[in-house]
Amino acid sequence: MKKLITIACLLIAISSMAQQIERGTVLIKNGTVLTITQGVKENTDVLIKDGKISQIGKNLAAPAGAKVIDATGYHVMPGIIDAHSHLALDAVNEATTPVSAMVWEGDDLDPLDIAMYRAIAGGVTISHAMHGSANAIGGQCQTIKHRYGTVDPKVLMMEGAPRTIKFALGENPTRVHGNNGAGIVPNTRMGVEFVIRQAFSEGKEYMESWNKYNASKNQKGFRGAPPKYDLRMETIAAILRGEIIIHCHSYRADEIYMLLKVCKDFGIKRLVFQHVNEGFKVAPELAAQGAMASVFADWWAYKFEVYYSTAYNAAILTRNGVVTSINSDDAELTRHLYHEAAKTQKYGGLTDDEALSLITINPAKQLGIDNRVGSLEVGKDGDVVIFKGHPLSVYTVPAYTIIDGVIKFDREKDADDMRLYVDPKQTIDITDAVFEETLSHNHDECMKNAEFLLNVKFADQNR
Amino acid sequence: MKKLFSSVLLKKLLTVAVFCWPAVLFAQDELAPVSRTYAITNVNIIQAPGRKIDMGTVVMKDGLIVSVGKNVSIPADAIVIKADSMYVYAGFIDGLSRVGLTKPKDEERGPRPKDPGNPKPEEAGITPQNDVRVSLNPAEKSIEELRALGFTAAHVVPYGGMMPGNGSIILLSGKSADQMVLVNKSSFYSELSPARGVYPATVMGVMAKYRELYRQASLSRAYENAYASNRAGIQRPATDRVLESLYPVVDKRQPVLFKAERVVDAQRVLTLQNDLGFSLMLAELKEGWDIVNKIKAANAKVFLSLDLPEDKDKKDDKKKDESKKEEGKKDEAKKEEPKKEEAPKTATAEEKAALEKRKAEFMARYVGQAATFQKAGVKFGFSTLSAKSGNIQANLRRMIEAGLPEDAALASLTTAPAEMLGLSDRLGSVDNGKIANLVISDKPYFNEKAKVRYVFVEGTMYKFDVKDSKDSKDGKKNDSGSKDAGVKAEGEWSISTETPNGVEQSKLVIKKEGNTITGTMSGGSINPAVGIDNAKLDGNALTFTFTFNYGGSNITVEVAVKIEGDSFKGTSSVAEYGSFPTEGKRLPK
Repeated sequence: MKKLITIACLLIAISSMAQQIERGTVLIKNGTVLTITQGVKENTDVLIKDGKISQIGKNLAAPAGAKVIDATGYHVMPGIIDAHSHLALDAVNEATTPVSAMVWEGDDLDPLDIAMYRAIAGGVTISHAMHGSANAIGGQCQTIKHRYGTVDPKVLMMEGAPRTIKFALGENPTRVHGNNGAGIVPNTRMGVEFVIRQAFSEGKEYMESWNKYNASKNQKGFRGAPPKYDLRMETIAAILRGEIIIHCHSYRADEIYMLLKVCKDFGIKRLVFQHVNEGFKVAPELAAQGAMASVFADWWAYKFEVYYSTAYNAAILTRNGVVTSINSDDAELTRHLYHEAAKTQKYGGLTDDEALSLITINPAKQLGIDNRVGSLEVGKDGDVVIFKGHPLSVYTVPAYTIIDGVIKFDREKDADDMRLYVDPKQTIDITDAVFEETLSHNHDECMKNAEFLLNVKFADQNR
Repeated sequence: MKKLFSSVLLKKLLTVAVFCWPAVLFAQDELAPVSRTYAITNVNIIQAPGRKIDMGTVVMKDGLIVSVGKNVSIPADAIVIKADSMYVYAGFIDGLSRVGLTKPKDEERGPRPKDPGNPKPEEAGITPQNDVRVSLNPAEKSIEELRALGFTAAHVVPYGGMMPGNGSIILLSGKSADQMVLVNKSSFYSELSPARGVYPATVMGVMAKYRELYRQASLSRAYENAYASNRAGIQRPATDRVLESLYPVVDKRQPVLFKAERVVDAQRVLTLQNDLGFSLMLAELKEGWDIVNKIKAANAKVFLSLDLPEDKDKKDDKKKDESKKEEGKKDEAKKEEPKKEEAPKTATAEEKAALEKRKAEFMARYVGQAATFQKAGVKFGFSTLSAKSGNIQANLRRMIEAGLPEDAALASLTTAPAEMLGLSDRLGSVDNGKIANLVISDKPYFNEKAKVRYVFVEGTMYKFDVKDSKDSKDGKKNDSGSKDAGVKAEGEWSISTETPNGVEQSKLVIKKEGNTITGTMSGGSINPAVGIDNAKLDGNALTFTFTFNYGGSNITVEVAVKIEGDSFKGTSSVAEYGSFPTEGKRLPK
């Protein structure tokens, strides 16, 4: 009976949690619908009912209580997905150890971050809130929906999104932990490979010892001690079991190939490379192993390992059959990912669908959420952006952003002050406020919270 | 000579009285009272919120309340206090503070840790075996300050990191730490505070470490139980002072008292509670208005902070009002003029007005937090951890003005915390048999003009003299003015700060015009030079902030130092990284 009550309480708790996610009903009339996966449909309506796309067709009737948007002359596309972001996070790097698999960005989400609203204003509905690149094996990341307006971090977390984790190769982990940083392994690229292989081997042993204990503990007369619980190893074991997708910060072809081999050796299949500036050199190898790539359109030369780069990277990877996305790694860049995607038409001549896939269905695949978002199909989440002008045109302007059928951004009704919480002690100085905001976009945050471990002379290289 | 001496002494005494009003005239270390029986007569007794006896008598004997009522006979040995038309309440209870604790000095930072990922527990802020009694000092001034407001009991916790140690409920009176303790190990105190430069150095690290330790403790607890039932033939469990300290929490015999001021932190704590299942007391909450239902659903006990953001605008307005009153009628004619000027509003002015409006809206939420909880039917107590004792009474009045009924405010100081801390049989109301903790004020306590006249802690009397508040204001002004005179902040200083990267050497230039302090910081990592902001000199305490670009990030440093002649000492703090020792020397001209 007690158990029953507990279960009942649990059910109530779960349902009350589900209620907190706001879902709406919207009819978008007569737009040019860019479905991404099923072609372009002219003069077509999209109906989102209770947060899900319920119909795509002509002359759809608005259900009672539905909001209606006249999209005549507008382009309607799925919400943009940013596969590499540090939005809405309090801390980015737990930089004290080369293997920080026990920490999780879901624990330090900041639902009050105004940058989330700015991303929505650029059509981004989902981002991958990542741990930074200070460690060979970084912390676990969290896929978030930009449900800006809630104070509840749990509401931001995309329900059902698979677990992901950050890895990092090359200069960042060696700089933080090696001789210029804490003075431990890894100090070289060899050291990075060693740290990862060692963690996987230990994780395997850990998993086996627990499997053995769990199998024998219910046998009659068993009185042994359990193995020591280790949250770091719990996470590594989950990677080995295929429950967590690796997203690895990387630049050079040799180290990308190295991690492909390591993952093959340990039977790990779900692998996405981040940045991947030299991905074009190993595109066939990536495709053969089913590894994916999330790149910048044209951002490089900010440190030694990122000089050998090309704006054709996304196009070459795509044409070699690698599932490729374009990401921002930056609160400002994320607001015009549609421009970033359009660059691949100049550099590589990708088709409209290929270019738009880089910021929709492909990042969805990389985050393991392509069954839910990334294209306009009946049954998928009602995450939609409406553009005035084709989204790949340099003149395009996002007009509406809809998440779960709720209009989160309406250019006509965009309020001046969208902060959720205001500091009652702040001094209001308008000129200063404006300057500070514009200046702070000159850098990304991949090495945030790791600076204290670095020597000053390296501090200008923070990507 | 004698006369001179006494007049100097008198002056000194007066300064003390004026400066630290209300002054304590009766202290414990004086002669012990001839009797431990007291009768307070002719007093309005507020036994508990909503229970009042007009003009009654309260009798205490040997630290306990023995009779309360209208027709109470006064024992022959009683010391009678004629509290004519005064008001007596149960002594207040503080849900979380460090009253009575001496703040440990910031330890000198040793060499950089060899392996920052594997620190010793104490380096990582994990000291749950600590007992607050060790650092409790009955002579601490904070006890006196809080008691003067009517607080008689407090839930105190040790200093430390994420798991500082065991909290205790103490009475704000007593000659030794042990004597003060009412309930020992009443809570397992926790914070989301990261360690400095070692794991866990971030909030997510603290959350992960908390989960890991809790689960390790659950497993080792179970194994210890199994071992205890039959020890032969299996390995003995290892002892571990950290995990053992968690056993009472795992067994749900001891609640976790968690500090969480911000709305995001409170929800992180609720996440931990939801994942691990401990019983929770959430304390020092400042931004809880949006999560009332979540706290209710979690069945957490909650203590709201008595610290409120200072309303500087309102203070300025009051000053203006006062000066205007003095200026008289002429001013009234002037008042109408600005209205005409306002007509063509610039975009900047409009934006400023809009921002001010939102700021005011949030000020109202902070001040109205208690009223929000009360309206939602959530019982709460108060905590003083980050509140300045000088602001507490005013803050209570601000909460009441914002809609918190006086009865509810009183309940949150007395009956509610007594119940939440499991002390209802001993504290919280003026009833027979309870510990004689009382506060007596000359007007109803929440009245602006009310002054605390007597406080009883377990039957020990503290009497407060009442001074004219005007004198005290003037006295304060003069005093701080003269204090300023000897301190010279302006000039050029060399300033060095010990950071995890080694000692940072910079140059500080301070200029002073009238009461305005400006200046620059340059050198070391600060290149180019930057201006200092928010500079303030209070006595010999100099505080300022500066923001410089470090590897593409803007880092804001808060500096707080005390100037002694041609040198200063203090700390520089950077949010999330903690604070570092700072020293300065005046550069020769």
